[in-house]
Amino acid sequence: MIPVWVLTGFLGSGKTTLLGRLLKSPDFSRTAVIINEFGEIGLDHDLIETSEESFVALQTGCLCCAVRDDLVLTLEDLLRRRAAGTAPPFERIVIETSGLADPAPILHALMLGPTLAGQLVVAGVVTTVDAVNGWRTFDRHREALKQVAVADRLLLTKTDLLDAPATRLTARLAALNPAARLLTATFGEVEAAGLFDLVCGSRAPAELARWLALSAPGERRGTEHGHDPEITSVAIVRDRPMRAVGLTLLLEVLADHCGGDLLRLKGLVNIVECPERPAVIHGMQHVFHPPAWLARWPSQDRRSRLVLIGRNLRQAWIEALLTALEMEVDEVHGVAAKLPATDEQ
Amino acid sequence: MSRAIPDYLAALLQESLPAWGVAGVVSRSADGGLELRAASVHLQIARAPPGLPFRWLVGDGDRNRAVSGVPGLLRTVRASIDPSYRPIAVRIATLPLAP
Repeated sequence: MIPVWVLTGFLGSGKTTLLGRLLKSPDFSRTAVIINEFGEIGLDHDLIETSEESFVALQTGCLCCAVRDDLVLTLEDLLRRRAAGTAPPFERIVIETSGLADPAPILHALMLGPTLAGQLVVAGVVTTVDAVNGWRTFDRHREALKQVAVADRLLLTKTDLLDAPATRLTARLAALNPAARLLTATFGEVEAAGLFDLVCGSRAPAELARWLALSAPGERRGTEHGHDPEITSVAIVRDRPMRAVGLTLLLEVLADHCGGDLLRLKGLVNIVECPERPAVIHGMQHVFHPPAWLARWPSQDRRSRLVLIGRNLRQAWIEALLTALEMEVDEVHGVAAKLPATDEQ
Repeated sequence: MSRAIPDYLAALLQESLPAWGVAGVVSRSADGGLELRAASVHLQIARAPPGLPFRWLVGDGDRNRAVSGVPGLLRTVRASIDPSYRPIAVRIATLPLAP
């Protein structure tokens, strides 16, 4: 299975510079890059030199608007050519979005492409942030906030142009997406291994632990007193194991009512039907991966823990929703305490 | 028919209004059901009669709609009170997470 990364970030935040440097690195050899450029004549791909084992494919138009199907076709074509030996035997794929792109529809196209199943895995999202202009960009462009909110890795670029550390900006990034790991490019250099390692899956306990740490008591969450009050993170901890159908119904309601406002969801869930193997769930907006099952619990803590990042998410509503679903599922299964006498005539 | 609604459902509906950005009030009716008022809409929510493949009834004037569970109840209630509501179906990805 070939991991696919999405590299996003606002216009001028250093995506192409980053790729150009990474592709010259031996650690990043055998990489296929798909560059999406907004405009009829692409330039970025001409600015990137690669080693012999890596190469760049180009798409024009905005990936998130009109050419999502083209992305799937491009990926299918790459895989065919790799299998036929007419393309280098790449070991990873990086999709660089245009700076104006909303990454969510791109990820959806990737996650839902039926012909890609069994060949590709979604590895994660890297978002570049311009340390000099990032603050103003966030104030003016909502797309940039979303690019940060969905990231697994945030890379602060152009820090060498600052007179002082970007303390306020990094605090804002941490508030927007406390689960993402923040890295800094120094004079355009960054370690590829730290940026594009696999992050989302069941063999990434450190990554999962970073998300789940947000559910610890006293952990600061949300940005209600910050600059981006509409984007919050919510952590849910449940002592009781959850029935599989309850989890399914929860995801259904979240998709139904939060939809595009649910930017990321990750969690470790204790399922009644499979108590020895926790389920890792991961979703973006209304699209969720099938649960990945860990071989065992990573610690003695067997509580279910969910972390959600999104716009205008309310902890009290999600808690009440979970309680209602648990109670209803228990009633249907006939194991709940009897309803109050006033419920029956 | 019993109209009583359990507390957990009342709590969920009370929390749902601010979560949806809808101004309104949820209150208990004399028979233990719920009444939800938002703008010009007045809904009555009751438990469905036994023997039906539904759990809840949502009354809106003369019209009663039956729903089979919490997801359907929330969808029906919100569709009645939130003109901006566009339900979105959950999708399951074909691509797995990175191993």
